[in-house]
Amino acid sequence: MFSLSAALYLSAIIFCIGIYGVLARRNILVVLMSLELMLNAVNLALVSFGRVYAQAGQPGEHAGQIFALMVLAVAAAEAAIGLSLLLVIWRKWRTIDVRDLCRMNG
Amino acid sequence: MSPWLQHTSFAVIAIISVVASLLVVTRRNPIYSALFLIVVFAAMAMAFLLLGAEYLGFMQLLVYAGAIMVLYLFVIMLINPREGDLPDEGSGSDRVFAGAISLLVFCLLQFTISSSPRLAELDAVMPSLPNALAPDHGSPAAFGRELFREHLLVFELASILILVGIVGAVHLSLRARRRPEAETDPATGGGKEVAGV
Repeated sequence: MFSLSAALYLSAIIFCIGIYGVLARRNILVVLMSLELMLNAVNLALVSFGRVYAQAGQPGEHAGQIFALMVLAVAAAEAAIGLSLLLVIWRKWRTIDVRDLCRMNG
Repeated sequence: MSPWLQHTSFAVIAIISVVASLLVVTRRNPIYSALFLIVVFAAMAMAFLLLGAEYLGFMQLLVYAGAIMVLYLFVIMLINPREGDLPDEGSGSDRVFAGAISLLVFCLLQFTISSSPRLAELDAVMPSLPNALAPDHGSPAAFGRELFREHLLVFELASILILVGIVGAVHLSLRARRRPEAETDPATGGGKEVAGV
């Protein structure tokens, strides 16, 4: 089995790539995808911690995995809402550029 | 599975997922980003399988690489952005700023991971884990038993969250369809008339 720190470093690297995508990109689609990337990196950290702390037969044996499943559900809801907001923005203003969306006037 | 094989497969998974996620954030065309994101999700599912989370690995493939990415690809095809619609990506200073911020966060995380007092102990524990756990650890049966016995409230809350997500998505897309008449462009403050989709 590979070590816990290797999994944590991989998770940290992918999380930071996601942060770069959220900050640097102007395309809303890619910003949403970078958010998914960050959520996935957190999932990896949760599962590896859950693996390390799991004790057979104990009540919290799958706690890390169940936490990751909940993050999965949040990601699914976030993708559905984010993409329908994106569709509304596209229909109203014909843009997918985050710089065009700096005014909140309905 | 032998330790050497596990190390090698984890290294391959790590390289694939880092390269693919770099490609996700650097490609100009969102279609390529979405396809590389599927590669990242598949590699993550492999990592979950290596960590003994069978059920979660397959859920990852089904929900992320299946459902969520199909949603993304549908939206990309629906709005069908042409070359002129793609926003021009930021100047060099923006990229340097974003890179500096993410590097800073990485340094913080790296410091936190490496200064953890229990890390060496946990690293040493990891190789002996397969024997310490029940053979059905991570299987759908064991996972579901724990989910429905001890985490039932969390499960119900997640289903409410997804229900709210469905209702919100339907509401947003219906409201947009009811008034497809022209709106003004927010950036120019008028001028560019938009026909309904």
